[in-house]
Amino acid sequence: MTKTVAVWLCLALSAAALSAQTPTPGRYQAPVVSDTGGLKGPRQPIFFRHDIHAGQDQIPCMYCHATVAVASEPGIPALQTCIGCHQLISGSTPSHQAEIKKVRDAWRERKAPEWTRIHALPGFVRFPHQRHIKALGTQACTKCHGDVQTMPQVYQVSTLRMGWCVSCHQQNKVSRDCTVCHY
Amino acid sequence: MTDGPNSIDRRRFLKVLGVTGAGAAAISACGIGPEPTEKLIPYLIPPEDQIPGTATYYASTCRECAAGCGIHVRVREGRAVKIEGNPESPINSGRLCARGQAAPQGVYNPDRVTGPMVRNTAGGFDSITWDDAISRVQGKLTAARGHGIVFLTGADASSFGDLVDDWMRQVGGRRVSYEAFGFDALRAGNRLAFGTAAVPSYDFANAKYVLSFGADFLDTWLSPVSFQNGFSRAHAFDGSRDGSMAKFVFVGPRMSLTGMNADEWVAALPGTEGVLALAMAQVIVSRRLAAVPTDAGRLAALLADHTPAKVAAITGLDEKLIVRLATEFAAAKGGLAVAGGMAAQYANGADIVAAVNILNYVAGAVGKLVKFGPDLAVGETGTFSDFARLTADMAGGRVALLFVHGTNPAHSLPGAFTQGLAKVGYKVSFASFMDETAAAADLILPDLHPLEQWNDSRPRAGIYALQQPTMQPVFPETRQSGDVVLKIMGRPGTYRDHLQGRWRELQRRFGAGKSFEQFWMDALQHGGVYGDAPARPVRLAEGASRIAPAPAAPTGGDQTVVVFPHPVLHDGRGANKPWLQELPDPVSKIAWHGWVEVHPETAKRWDLATGDFLLLKSAFGAVKAPVWITASVRPDVLAVPTGHGHAAYGRYAKDRSFNAFELLGADANAYGGRTFAVGATATKTGEHRKIVTTEGSARERGEGSVETLTLARAKSLGAADHPFHHEETPEYAKESVEWWGERQFEQAELGNYAGEQPRWGLAVDLSKCTGCSACVTACYAENNLATVGEELMMRGREMSWLRLERYWLTDAEGHPQGAVNSPMMCQQCGNAPCEPVCPVYAAYHTPDGLNGQVYNRCVGTRYCSNNCPYKVRYFNWYNYAERGGEWEAWPEPLSMLLNPDVTVRERGVMEKCTFCVQRIRGAQNKARLEDRNVRDGEIVPACAQSCPSEAIVFGDLHDRNSEVYKLAGNPRGYHVLAGLNTKPAVTYLARVVSNG
Repeated sequence: MTKTVAVWLCLALSAAALSAQTPTPGRYQAPVVSDTGGLKGPRQPIFFRHDIHAGQDQIPCMYCHATVAVASEPGIPALQTCIGCHQLISGSTPSHQAEIKKVRDAWRERKAPEWTRIHALPGFVRFPHQRHIKALGTQACTKCHGDVQTMPQVYQVSTLRMGWCVSCHQQNKVSRDCTVCHY
Repeated sequence: MTDGPNSIDRRRFLKVLGVTGAGAAAISACGIGPEPTEKLIPYLIPPEDQIPGTATYYASTCRECAAGCGIHVRVREGRAVKIEGNPESPINSGRLCARGQAAPQGVYNPDRVTGPMVRNTAGGFDSITWDDAISRVQGKLTAARGHGIVFLTGADASSFGDLVDDWMRQVGGRRVSYEAFGFDALRAGNRLAFGTAAVPSYDFANAKYVLSFGADFLDTWLSPVSFQNGFSRAHAFDGSRDGSMAKFVFVGPRMSLTGMNADEWVAALPGTEGVLALAMAQVIVSRRLAAVPTDAGRLAALLADHTPAKVAAITGLDEKLIVRLATEFAAAKGGLAVAGGMAAQYANGADIVAAVNILNYVAGAVGKLVKFGPDLAVGETGTFSDFARLTADMAGGRVALLFVHGTNPAHSLPGAFTQGLAKVGYKVSFASFMDETAAAADLILPDLHPLEQWNDSRPRAGIYALQQPTMQPVFPETRQSGDVVLKIMGRPGTYRDHLQGRWRELQRRFGAGKSFEQFWMDALQHGGVYGDAPARPVRLAEGASRIAPAPAAPTGGDQTVVVFPHPVLHDGRGANKPWLQELPDPVSKIAWHGWVEVHPETAKRWDLATGDFLLLKSAFGAVKAPVWITASVRPDVLAVPTGHGHAAYGRYAKDRSFNAFELLGADANAYGGRTFAVGATATKTGEHRKIVTTEGSARERGEGSVETLTLARAKSLGAADHPFHHEETPEYAKESVEWWGERQFEQAELGNYAGEQPRWGLAVDLSKCTGCSACVTACYAENNLATVGEELMMRGREMSWLRLERYWLTDAEGHPQGAVNSPMMCQQCGNAPCEPVCPVYAAYHTPDGLNGQVYNRCVGTRYCSNNCPYKVRYFNWYNYAERGGEWEAWPEPLSMLLNPDVTVRERGVMEKCTFCVQRIRGAQNKARLEDRNVRDGEIVPACAQSCPSEAIVFGDLHDRNSEVYKLAGNPRGYHVLAGLNTKPAVTYLARVVSNG
């Protein structure tokens, strides 16, 4: 049941993505990146562009990071999620096609890409994503992760240090008790 | 240097260092920042029922003993991390013992056999492929046909056991099942008394008086979690319940965990339990104390032979005592007598069981509290005489091919079985661990751990429990024995198919109107199907009047030595799990080692101190055991536990202490069982050893820790009575306490502390607590507590956030009559001595009333621990998580059982119980997502969850409708060391002692 819905949604999204190749006025247009070396953030095994997926194509964050509203972990999309769309979408430019081919190859070879982690907290910190999404809404990802929908390559915007956490908790008048995060 | 304008002070130096690459890496390594580079590897296809960061629970069945408790296995990111009881299971009602809790240490054990192996010419083992292994077995099978093929299993009332039976019939072999502590006496005794060899179920919950003849029903006997749960319902004190608190009398030569929960201990001479039971029956019949069934008339001659006067001389007990016990038992109108454990392990064990059956029969318990019909499956296990026949066949060269699965007789029958093994043509072991039997095998086909495999079991007639894989195998080259057997048999399909085929029969009985798929999914979800077996009335058998339970004098030495199963290591199968090794034995409080119990009088006569070695020599073997001096054993009896003394079985078990089975004979006795009491000589060797005991150590306090009330006093308490409250705030301290209270109040209105907050609290009913220590192991599992090993434990460095303190209860002459057990964890003081002394605010008070401990802030001054009057703070003297470190507590892959919700602490950090704060926060997160408050009973700390007697209740003390609030106001309630004005959040309910 859920799978069927996912397939339909995926087809709808693919159709949207295909149509999006003709620029629509007023919509964010991801830039053409010719020099990837100049981009901020660590280089990933596949040049996955959040700016195209989340910005230009307006795929909601939670389409891929599906568990962010219900669990402490947002979830890294499984390769199946990628291939769901990229079975049909093979890219409009040679450079896009080359990256999408990597996805298809990985799927065929049953070998998931090893992403370099950008946002990490030390082992003694608990960060329940679901509580933050509940309080701030599903559009609030940018508050900590920055404007990911305009980032060709994702980099860390916030320090993720305790002072940064606490200042936000202070502004929002929520608990600053240590054992809320540390146990 | 610090004077000049260009000088750099230390603070600035560190600041500069921080921005350079090297400095950043160094700081990361200290744990301040994230690890330099982590990889995120996504799933190819996400598992359907797993949400990252969220636990999934699978219903299954515990296979750590034959009781067949239902379990829920908590799985995080594909690995099982914790086991809890399944509330739907009619066996354990959601509770679980220490052994069940420790099952994850089996699946992730670093000493598992990782793939099939064959013995090479040099005597070692070589790895082979499964195809090769299976073809070897098939070859051997063909050759061995007609020359003796035997499949040896443990107690295995499951589809696997039935499959083995099928297979053995097909190849002309036989299956023998063996349990080191078998139930032969129970079955033989039931046959003698009632003509049936079935093992009935016992209804402890509805008993009004419990009389145990040696049966350790709280620790090792038949179905301990089920019995403990029932027993605590009967034995706990409840002021509002009429006739609450069934008195419990224990008869036996030593006090076991079960015995120390008795209200009265009757230390009859070993082996005289049966005549005592008959004398009690005689009193009941001759004085017409109960409505005696008419057919009991044929017992007249037998009973006339066992008058209290005659029996008093045999048992060494007072005649009046026997009459009193019989009168009390009958007057309770709901007395339940059970015989087992030690009483069923003498040479006259069957007659003792039969005598106790007669007592139950004349008192009217049979059919009411002793129910035949819903029989326990352990009754189907093979007898020891079958097994002795097998050993004889092996020694005579009449076994060409032997398969061993789920049992380790080379440890429990060290001489005879091992010698026999040498004469067996080819030995195939299905062991997951390199135990003594596997080490002697020619071929090892490692089975999956029960948490990784499909199976079922029938713990009690009417109950069909399912077992499902909760995770992928830890070692991909291990294989389920069911699959291997099917393959060898040449049958198509997997063991799962086979299992489903068998469950189709059950679907016809239980799954009315459901498709098989639906029935199967339902059964998986609920852990099985739970039906009732109809009760079956039993009558006295013809031969019941001819039993002769009088003991024969032991031979072979002047000293009676009884060998008893260790409460958690049992027959030794628990010895490879460090949680169970480090768990102090509930009675002796000794960990990591065996001991011999010696009465103080005997010790004085032989000039012994605790830790001195005794050489015990029976007709069958000898062991050297360190002495533990205790008044909980008869002066003329020495008692030794099994469990230790492994020659193999992995790093935690091997070469540790002695094997008490060495003392025992290998021949079956008159009723076909094994005798566990032997005559022996005892000699002092002059050697001495320090044994690890947590008894009386710095962490335990003798004063004001436990309170008791007599039954009469407890009954007289009104709701407004608080006999223990006077201790709080002594007169001289009133003024300063008030001052302190006002300052606290001012602070309590600041910041996060303002407004309505819960105050988490516990209530612990000592009348329910039996000291079984399930909570301790549950705490180890939930909170990533390190096991430190024997050497560090000797230095008092164990990390058990929750410990069981055992205090003897003595009669007027100072003889122990039982014990009060008190679980001691952080009391989460409202006015905590630990908090103000912490220089870095790592120990602080949380708004919801916990004594928080911020590990990443702690610098290890240990001031808090010094200032804690309860000694419940534990310091990490070493880095127990260090890979390959000297004190590594979780060698690969044991580290996979670590709870991802709890920080693993490093060296130099103080740690302690915080009422499972991760569960509190988890429940709060869940409640907030659902726009509601946390419900009472929603948060269950690991200790409360596992407690088989439901002694621990957690909740919000500020919520006037909560269970814990009600219990905290109970007249029996008291706080430990209340006079220190610590205002603990843990309320203990005084133990009520029935005998006044």
